[in-house]
Amino acid sequence: MNVNFLNPFLDAANEVLKQETRLDFIRGGLSLDKSHYISDDVTVILAIVGMVSGNVFYSMDQATALNLASRMMYEPFEEFNSLAQSGIAELGNVITGKASVKLSQSGYEATISPPTLIQGKGATINTLDYPRIIVPLVAENASVVIHLALKETAGSRLNAAAIPVPDRPNI
Amino acid sequence: MVNVTFLNPFIEAVKDVVKAELGIEVTRGPLSLQKSALTADEVTVILSMVGEIQGVVLFGLSTQTALIMVEKMIGQKFTTFDNLAQSGIAELGNVITGRASINYSKAGYQTNISPPTLIVGKGIQISTLDFSRIVVPMATNMGELVVNLALREATPGTEAPIPLAIGNK
Repeated sequence: MNVNFLNPFLDAANEVLKQETRLDFIRGGLSLDKSHYISDDVTVILAIVGMVSGNVFYSMDQATALNLASRMMYEPFEEFNSLAQSGIAELGNVITGKASVKLSQSGYEATISPPTLIQGKGATINTLDYPRIIVPLVAENASVVIHLALKETAGSRLNAAAIPVPDRPNI
Repeated sequence: MVNVTFLNPFIEAVKDVVKAELGIEVTRGPLSLQKSALTADEVTVILSMVGEIQGVVLFGLSTQTALIMVEKMIGQKFTTFDNLAQSGIAELGNVITGRASINYSKAGYQTNISPPTLIVGKGIQISTLDFSRIVVPMATNMGELVVNLALREATPGTEAPIPLAIGNK
């Protein structure tokens, strides 16, 4: 994976997390994981499509999710209800959106999908032939991991499955 | 607001691809609209769609059905749902969604789709948040495939122009 993709995400995450949660997150060492991701309590998934394509996950345990949601909305959450869930999903959405703007400024046009939220520890999440760069972020009572399963997309930038195949000619 | 004109192009895509890849027919069961989170089947494939129609597509099936389907597609027997089998099922979801994207394009909606993600984890909760899902159970003689469509028409300005380097207009 190209480091040109990495920095927009690191910068976006720093800016948004600080702004939304008022917590200072310290970044741990990056690593590359080619195996499956085993899900934490809460995972937000967003897809990116364009000159950079793939999926981005934001994972955390329940305690972090409640803490961040509470801080974002200035309201204590005892359970991870719909409102808290939408807050965490929105956090992933804003970080990814900001990263896509920075990517675009670096010359990589891309569009992001709406977020999907997964709850349930221990599921196997397979990004197939997209290895994940793992970015651990730690703050007080909060630990978030960003997973970047992205590749530069050359050529038509359409997913091959979305390109119409001409009918077989009658020869 | 969910627009059901998205439904038929997708159902056609499922039927055509399943016929082409698996050689079998698909029968659509009763539709429903869900706002709550989906409780995942043993196997779930997730794809996202961007452009003039945007959102998330989820395919749910049992491991047993998945193994029967990949055996047919790849031509070898699978005893466990290993990496190769997983990539086969993910690709099936990818091709179906890609075909739907082509169908939408014929209807005048330009879209593009993300790479697929595959989840193995029965019982986990998958929420598409403020996108309601149309749930389409599709019966086959290899087992049931449940298609969840959490899609909507993009509001003007939010859709991305799709650069068409290969002429498909």
